[in-house]
Amino acid sequence: MNRIEEYLFKDAELFPDRTAIICSGESVSYSELLARVVRRAEELRQFRNHVVPFRTSQSIDFLVEYFATHLAGAVAAPLEKDMPSERYEELSSFLSTRSIPGSEIADILFTTGTTGKPKGVMISHGAIVANGENLVESQGFSHNLAFVICGPLNHIGSLSKVYPVIMQGATLCILEGLKDMDAFFRTFELPYDRFATFLVPASIRMLLRFCSASLMKIADKLEFVETGAAPMYQSDMEELCRILPHTRLYNTYASTETGIISTFNYNAGECIASCLGTRMKNSGFRICDDSTISCFGKTMMSGYFGDDELSASVMSGNEIHTADLGRCDSRGRLHIIGRKDDLINLGGFKLSPVEIENAALSAPGIIDCICTEVPDVIAGSALKLFVVVEKGFEFSPRKLAAFLKTRLEPYKVPLKYAQVDKIERTFNGKLNRTFYKEI
Amino acid sequence: MKEHIRTLLEGVLPIVDLDSDFLFAELDSLGITSILMVLSNEYGIELDSQDATPRNLKNLDSIVSMVQSKLANK
Repeated sequence: MNRIEEYLFKDAELFPDRTAIICSGESVSYSELLARVVRRAEELRQFRNHVVPFRTSQSIDFLVEYFATHLAGAVAAPLEKDMPSERYEELSSFLSTRSIPGSEIADILFTTGTTGKPKGVMISHGAIVANGENLVESQGFSHNLAFVICGPLNHIGSLSKVYPVIMQGATLCILEGLKDMDAFFRTFELPYDRFATFLVPASIRMLLRFCSASLMKIADKLEFVETGAAPMYQSDMEELCRILPHTRLYNTYASTETGIISTFNYNAGECIASCLGTRMKNSGFRICDDSTISCFGKTMMSGYFGDDELSASVMSGNEIHTADLGRCDSRGRLHIIGRKDDLINLGGFKLSPVEIENAALSAPGIIDCICTEVPDVIAGSALKLFVVVEKGFEFSPRKLAAFLKTRLEPYKVPLKYAQVDKIERTFNGKLNRTFYKEI
Repeated sequence: MKEHIRTLLEGVLPIVDLDSDFLFAELDSLGITSILMVLSNEYGIELDSQDATPRNLKNLDSIVSMVQSKLANK
């Protein structure tokens, strides 16, 4: 099968009454889900060969819209739930004024570039299926599994889990984040024997800190937990292994551009923080001379929407050159050791400090600034903004944060602020990011 | 106590309106965790996921009540 929607048709035929999705007390069977998708696809036919942008929500309706857009022959562009309206309009307009290269593009997922300009990553139908196959084979998604998704569905970390669930005719449980931690644990009372979930390292840290007893109670039901998207502390990994001794715990290497590349079960004898395992079925990687990681295979993106130059700068043939630095051990396992560029990876979201600095510089009273990543006891890491203000200006971190919230998605607004007399620069006048990384 | 808690939380939640009567709705999981961690460290009380309810985190007054209740049962 070449498209994820073909699996949906197969599921509705083979298991019409099986629950496909559970969300906020509502559930749909595979036959009901397909009926809703087909109905909505009819309404979307007019957008065939066009991009359909829509705000992401943690809901059944979101997935109906997503599948229906594909079925209607259009391209799905799920945008950030809390994106400021002006930015949403800007992106929607950008998407509507450019043509789609070919008929195989399924999705455009936005990520952040080094300059802060959003990049529309084009994902083909084939890449979606290849990602799904990778996860089914390497992590053991099966038809009687209930998979719990807490993260935003427009992010590759969560969206990619929808594919193996649908391919196996399993059940998806969607939650509105992890803010209601009791709701997360109540999900495991549903009448399923086997559960799995995807949690970013910050969420694992939070559960370990406040809910370790509850985690122990669900240990026997939790077949596997995947993490990825951001570095995880060795101590958190070891603690999770202790609490969930029989659960497969995967650390995965993936990105929006490359798809799902490799995975490593760190609860099978070797708990190594940097290790991201061996290549998956449809993907591969190699370490380049400058220690950057290059990826190849069926899961690669098709390019950046509307930006051939940018696409050519990272792609050659079917190979994508990432800015991640890595090494390969004697057993062919990938280890990640850092990044070559200035992008900050915060809980799986790649952020450009430049974008945040530009927004801050447009705030009243701010004459210079630098945004950097600092350790944070709660989330592991957080953004900190150092600012220089005009003489006589009374600096208020809360007022600046409120201003930034009108310009940026909430996860891009720094949590920490410091007023300084000057921002350190290099000899040629560039922001000295290394200095701030070291203090 | 209320003003002290406000100052503490303003330091870790710069974009959250602490005067809101719908505080729980404004918070994300990181915000909830920040509140639990800051208060448990400051007052030496045990807070866990069971305490992170919409009722306890409705507004600043309900947070103060939760802390007072925990301190009384310490």
